[in-house]
Amino acid sequence: MIKFLLLAMSASLFMGCSLIKEVKPWEKETLAKPIMQFGGLHPEVTKFESHVYFSKEASRGGSGVAGGGCGCN
Amino acid sequence: MFKKTIYSLLFSSMSLLALETGDSLSQNIQNNLKLEADKVYVIDFFASWCKSCKKELPLIANIYNDKTVEVIGINVDKNQEDGERLVKELELTFPVVYDTDKSLVESFDPLGFPAVYYVKNGKVLNVIFGAVEEIDKKIKEDIKAIK
Repeated sequence: MIKFLLLAMSASLFMGCSLIKEVKPWEKETLAKPIMQFGGLHPEVTKFESHVYFSKEASRGGSGVAGGGCGCN
Repeated sequence: MFKKTIYSLLFSSMSLLALETGDSLSQNIQNNLKLEADKVYVIDFFASWCKSCKKELPLIANIYNDKTVEVIGINVDKNQEDGERLVKELELTFPVVYDTDKSLVESFDPLGFPAVYYVKNGKVLNVIFGAVEEIDKKIKEDIKAIK
């Protein structure tokens, strides 16, 4: 009985996984577009905007932008 | 088969139908690709949006040009024009099949891209998934081992 329950639980668990349709390697055209990269199409612009933001707000972090932290770099 | 099934259930990215080393191609695929008996074929799946494919394709073309092995390219772009543009841009001389309906790539079901299959007499001898730095050298070594 325990074995059956374990099997049923495992089956339901695996069925849950199978609900998510995987993206096949040949279907990744959209993901391969430059716009999909971290920071958008122009990551340097995103970096600059982030720099302006943390300089104005006197706060930084959480955005992944490297820099000195003083707002003067 | 049992092991493969368990792995497939555990890792949804794997497929039960993916062709692996030792598997046989269906007669339909062999006919579509016009594979001849006793010849080793390198079947390369590529797409215009795949940067690694773009890097590898000229090297694979060199192998075909120096007659090391028969090469068949399978382009999986949604729009055939994109594939044709890439073939023209890279001046590929080997035969290319445009798999716009995805029937071929779904039959092979590669686990990564670019995907290279070595096929002889309808049987998969080896598979390479993902980018390889010097694919031409790798293929030459593999072909030498096969022959």
